[in-house]
Amino acid sequence: MSIMEKIEQAIPLFNHWISKWKNEGKKVLGYFCSYIPEEIIYAADILPIRMRARECTDTPMGDAYMTPTTCSYTRCCLELANRKQYDFIDGIISCNCCDQVRRLYDNLRYKTPFPYHYIIGIPGYVSDVTIDWFKHELIKFKNNLEHEFNVNIDQEELEKVIKIYNKSRNLLKELYWLRKKDNPPISGTDMIKILSAGISIPNEQFSELLELQLKQTEEKKGISDYKARIMLIGSMLDDPEYIEIIESLGGLIVTDSLCLGTRYFWDLVDESTEPLQGLARRYLSKISCPRMTDGHLRRVDYMMNLIKEFNVDGVIFQRMKFCAIWWAEIFMLRKKLKEAGIPFLDLEREYVLSGVGAMKTRVQTFMEILEGR
Amino acid sequence: MDIELFNKYKKLGRGNWGKDLAMWKAMYTGFLNQMKDEEFTAISELLLNIFLDLPKARKQGIPIIMHSFNYGPEIFHAMNLEPLMQELYSVGLAGFHLNEPYIDFTNKIGFGDNPTLCNAQRPLIGSYMQGIAPLPDYLFYLSTPCNSLAMTYQVFQHLAKIPAFNIDVPYWAYNKANEFYDENTVEYMINQIKDLISWLEKETKHKLTAENLQLTMRNLNQSREYILEFNELLKTIPCPMPSLAGFGNFLAMVTRGGTDDALKATKWLRDTASENVKNGIAGVPDEEIRIAWPYTHVFFDRDLLTWIEETFKAVVIMDILGFYQVFPHDTSTIAKSYQSLALGTLDFSMVGTCRGPIEYYIEFLLNYVKDYKMDCVIMPMQFACKHAYAMARVASEAVREETGIPTLIFGCDPYDSREVTSEAIRSRISEFITQVVL
Repeated sequence: MSIMEKIEQAIPLFNHWISKWKNEGKKVLGYFCSYIPEEIIYAADILPIRMRARECTDTPMGDAYMTPTTCSYTRCCLELANRKQYDFIDGIISCNCCDQVRRLYDNLRYKTPFPYHYIIGIPGYVSDVTIDWFKHELIKFKNNLEHEFNVNIDQEELEKVIKIYNKSRNLLKELYWLRKKDNPPISGTDMIKILSAGISIPNEQFSELLELQLKQTEEKKGISDYKARIMLIGSMLDDPEYIEIIESLGGLIVTDSLCLGTRYFWDLVDESTEPLQGLARRYLSKISCPRMTDGHLRRVDYMMNLIKEFNVDGVIFQRMKFCAIWWAEIFMLRKKLKEAGIPFLDLEREYVLSGVGAMKTRVQTFMEILEGR
Repeated sequence: MDIELFNKYKKLGRGNWGKDLAMWKAMYTGFLNQMKDEEFTAISELLLNIFLDLPKARKQGIPIIMHSFNYGPEIFHAMNLEPLMQELYSVGLAGFHLNEPYIDFTNKIGFGDNPTLCNAQRPLIGSYMQGIAPLPDYLFYLSTPCNSLAMTYQVFQHLAKIPAFNIDVPYWAYNKANEFYDENTVEYMINQIKDLISWLEKETKHKLTAENLQLTMRNLNQSREYILEFNELLKTIPCPMPSLAGFGNFLAMVTRGGTDDALKATKWLRDTASENVKNGIAGVPDEEIRIAWPYTHVFFDRDLLTWIEETFKAVVIMDILGFYQVFPHDTSTIAKSYQSLALGTLDFSMVGTCRGPIEYYIEFLLNYVKDYKMDCVIMPMQFACKHAYAMARVASEAVREETGIPTLIFGCDPYDSREVTSEAIRSRISEFITQVVL
């Protein structure tokens, strides 16, 4: 079995790593956003997994309680919870990252409660005051985990886990650097599979797979049959099929600014500081989601730097339908790209793949434009 | 309105207000004309002065700070800045349907749509791009209650290149037994407010003096006392005030909180309610139905509430904004004044109810329904209002379970008559009241 095949086994909601973890009598907690410090959970010997819902086919309950005009990711999560497909999860950890996720948390508690639930308050901008506050929030969260699960999360354990997570972050970065090549040895489709695995299995074991994958990828022949190098920007995207559609039409995804992409792992936790301080600083001041009110200019610089470093020909924005945060952010980013003369395509999508025909037409046209430049 | 008074205000509105205040002036004229055939009250005076003060401030070189609808401007007044409540502009246009071209333009330029982004803010972008939005010198907003507000203000900040400041509002509860109680929250808010003040002092060169702060807070808390009394008086059966009355308190506090103008307006409302109770006067003659309206008004239909009153002898006892519930605090020292500012921020209209978990909203709704002896609940939910619309169903279930009273929930755009028309809304309400409530 190849490394990629092993990685693909990690992608389903319930995989054999989780099964093994649970068979050892250990707990699994689902979290909703990349602003939630997984390290604290893992230091409690609890497996943090990102809540996903790609198995969802329709959302009657989600529509009734979240309404049909909220994002389909949240409606799908509520739907799957109602259908007991999260029964292996021992609890959920949410945050106020966006209106829809925080109301999903409320609806889950009322309609499909989990044995454990917690919501972390993430400040909306970065300053000394808010970093202090966020550290305070993380202390409360840690104390709550310790109390509810009868564990002790000490400084030493936190330091150890931070190192584990930083290791996987560095390995992911190394994989990304390979995509700078004229003929990148790894596709965007495979990259998203790797990232999806990373949020679904114990991080140490993820790093083991990454090391093997990295070695294999370094030796691989690069991809040459593409029409354009693409940067993908947007929110929660964990569907390899979506990226496969773009790549099948000649758009090779070489880099991204995605919830599950570079914004998830690019920044490291400072291992020289007190762990909770380091976590608070890293998570709050990492390359931000547009829910952070003060990060737009930094995100613009970040986007432009990645475009330059990865020799990007064009940008594809993908935004979840009804997402206020990303629609506004993309409105501003488009302006910047126009000024810089960088072509872009703005795609609206649902969480579960749909509207493939229309998407293909638009992407195909975009590829033709890029080819013609 | 007395004809002499009307002419006086008409005269005051003349002259060149500046290109970016063209719509602002149009709104002033619109509201003034509306008041011509109505009783001129302290709220009428407050509203007209809000419009007049902006060009005045411009002429006098007073910095203008645009702020969101969920934050009281007392600090700005205390620092002799001119606050401009953004939603008074964007939403005020809705009553005259003047926002529609700007909503359409915003759609055209690709800044969202309804139901992705709320039309309580989007007209600002559309009208700015067309050169007729009032341009402030500074911008201020909270992280709550919604992403739509925070994102639209961010977009405006970057498009217009206006310096901006933002305050984060955490989940917090007063009750020490509640999981969200945190003894550090008020300090967190105070630190952010102090940062805001430092930023304003640096940017505007206006200083906040201890004397101004304490005077403003004294006025503010006196207004809060009047409003609490007013809220209490509205529990009387029949309700002593008509449906829109409570909104006057919100308007006073969100535009002129801490000033003599707000004192005058809130006192007038309290006194009127008190007199009416004493004299057995009902806001809606022969009141038969009391309606809880735990969301915002349908702003594009200025006659909706009057129609409800006349058609069903039903009174809408305050909406979520008009139901201002900030308690007066001790402001005898500077430290206590800052505490009052912090608590006022946490409990402001729609912040107190919507900044936390759904339980805050449910508790607010249940108390509202029980204390005011409501017969039913009506929630005309803005499609784009994710944080509120996604609470409506669970909240209505809680109300039914605990009180047995029915709830009508329907989607609409309170700012754009073209999404769900006035007729459709009235039809839904009519059906609900006649088939379910009566």
